[in-house]
Amino acid sequence: MSEAIPISLTVNGRTHRLFVQPWHTLLQVLREQISLTGSKRGCNQGVCGACSVMIDGAVMRGCLTLAADAAGREIVTVEGLAVGGALSPVQQALLDHGAVQCGFCMPGMAVAATALLADNPSPSDAEIRDGLSGNLCRCSGYVKVVEAVRSASAGGAS
Amino acid sequence: MEFHGPSTVDEAVSLLAADEDARCLAGGATLVAMMNADLVMPSALVSLRHIAALGGIAADAGGGLRIGAMTTHREVADAAGLDGAHALISETARAIGHPAIRNMGTIGGSIGHGDPQADYPAALVALDASVELRGPDGARAVPAQDFFVDYLETALQPGELITAVTLPPSPAGGFGAYEKFARVEGDYATVSVAAAVAMEAGRCRYVRVALGSCGPIPVRAEDAEARLAGTALADEDVAAAAAVLRDACDPVDDVRGSGEYRMMLVEPLLGRALRAAAAKGGAR
Ligand SMILES: Cc1cc2nc3c(=O)[nH]c(=O)nc-3n(C[C@H](O)[C@H](O)[C@H](O)COP(=O)(O)OP(=O)(O)OC[C@H]3O[C@@H](n4cnc5c(N)ncnc54)[C@H](O)[C@@H]3O)c2cc1C
Ligand code: FES
Ligand code: FES
Repeated sequence: MSEAIPISLTVNGRTHRLFVQPWHTLLQVLREQISLTGSKRGCNQGVCGACSVMIDGAVMRGCLTLAADAAGREIVTVEGLAVGGALSPVQQALLDHGAVQCGFCMPGMAVAATALLADNPSPSDAEIRDGLSGNLCRCSGYVKVVEAVRSASAGGAS
Repeated sequence: MEFHGPSTVDEAVSLLAADEDARCLAGGATLVAMMNADLVMPSALVSLRHIAALGGIAADAGGGLRIGAMTTHREVADAAGLDGAHALISETARAIGHPAIRNMGTIGGSIGHGDPQADYPAALVALDASVELRGPDGARAVPAQDFFVDYLETALQPGELITAVTLPPSPAGGFGAYEKFARVEGDYATVSVAAAVAMEAGRCRYVRVALGSCGPIPVRAEDAEARLAGTALADEDVAAAAAVLRDACDPVDDVRGSGEYRMMLVEPLLGRALRAAAAKGGAR
């Protein structure tokens, strides 16, 4: 085993000083070192989106980002979406629309939807589907997810 | 394993040259996936993230375009004001994967991997692009067509890295189109066709075509282009050119389609790509 690298990782506004191995993914470090287990490991291959996090405001794969390469960047996980203990509008809408079934994909969906609405506050349905196209839901509840995101968008008071 | 984050190309080249099992890390979307699957375990990673000289898209005085190796697919997709056929590169970037993949993946990483199922390779061949490399012996440029050598094999030599992709000026009156056929949105292509076309008085004055996912490298056939030149891109012209292209293909059978199925897709996708490119020029 090679020598661990000291890094400082800024997650949800808090800076953590950690030691990581070069091959440790951001997902692994979030879950195992800072106990933020909201980001899920589905495929570990970039395909499912369960590990979605925002890095410098853009949605990315936690499982394909190396922790050492994420040092110094602003990371937001699903745990960072709530404001002052209250669910964010996207989270509340997912709940209200019954979009959550087993829930495994939901942290990734919530992060991807938040990033989408930050870039494009009033997306069309096609844009919502494109924005969430990298997030798989094996319970297959896509319709309610799209409805929830539409209602949380600027044009979507339901 | 060591992890390096150099801030200049020269430092990155020395690190790569000093250790033949070291690898560049760009977006990580392919390399980290392979590490997670225990397919590769480099002795050192050289992250290119902090090398400012590898970023950005810039037009040169002669009308060419230079895209830094670390430019993400999203930056290429969103690039505004690209001339004529150059817009083909943005159209291609928009066809890659999903938002998260476009935010992470880079043009250097995409071509550095040498995967013939990726989207950029065919587009770069159709645009007559060059790949700029830097290594221990200095800089050199390789035409995209020669950069792709075999399946997952490129012209990159030990110690070399990709610094940029350059596009020559768009051919006068030229436009491009990228037709990607995939099982679902965001998947790698079963077959893709990149075309750059200039029409004059209803006839094709300039044409370049390259196919993706049809062999170990992008497929281009000059005889197919010669067959299309001077025509109005009628059905029989497209069919004849597709026949020539199919002879140059060597497709695999995989989960995205059998080789036979891929060959069936060449003609309709070629027709769509050529006509979409010609239509962008409007009636002339
Ligand atoms: C779920 C998923 C879906 C995808 N869908 C598509 C798709 O539809 N179409 C498509 O075309 N691609 C697709 N991709 C691939 C993706 O778009 C990236 O192009 C790819 O991951 C490589 O880019 P990267 O920047 O992430 O490179 P990395 O993963 O960091 O590197 C890839 C390889 O290139 C080398 N490398 C990187 N930069 C350089 C350089 N400057 N010089 C020399 N070598 C270098 C690395 O050492 C490594 O061997 C997909 C990937 C995933 C995970
Ligand atoms: S766990 Fe990262 S995309 Fe599936
Ligand atoms: S709610 Fe079960 S995977 Fe989406």
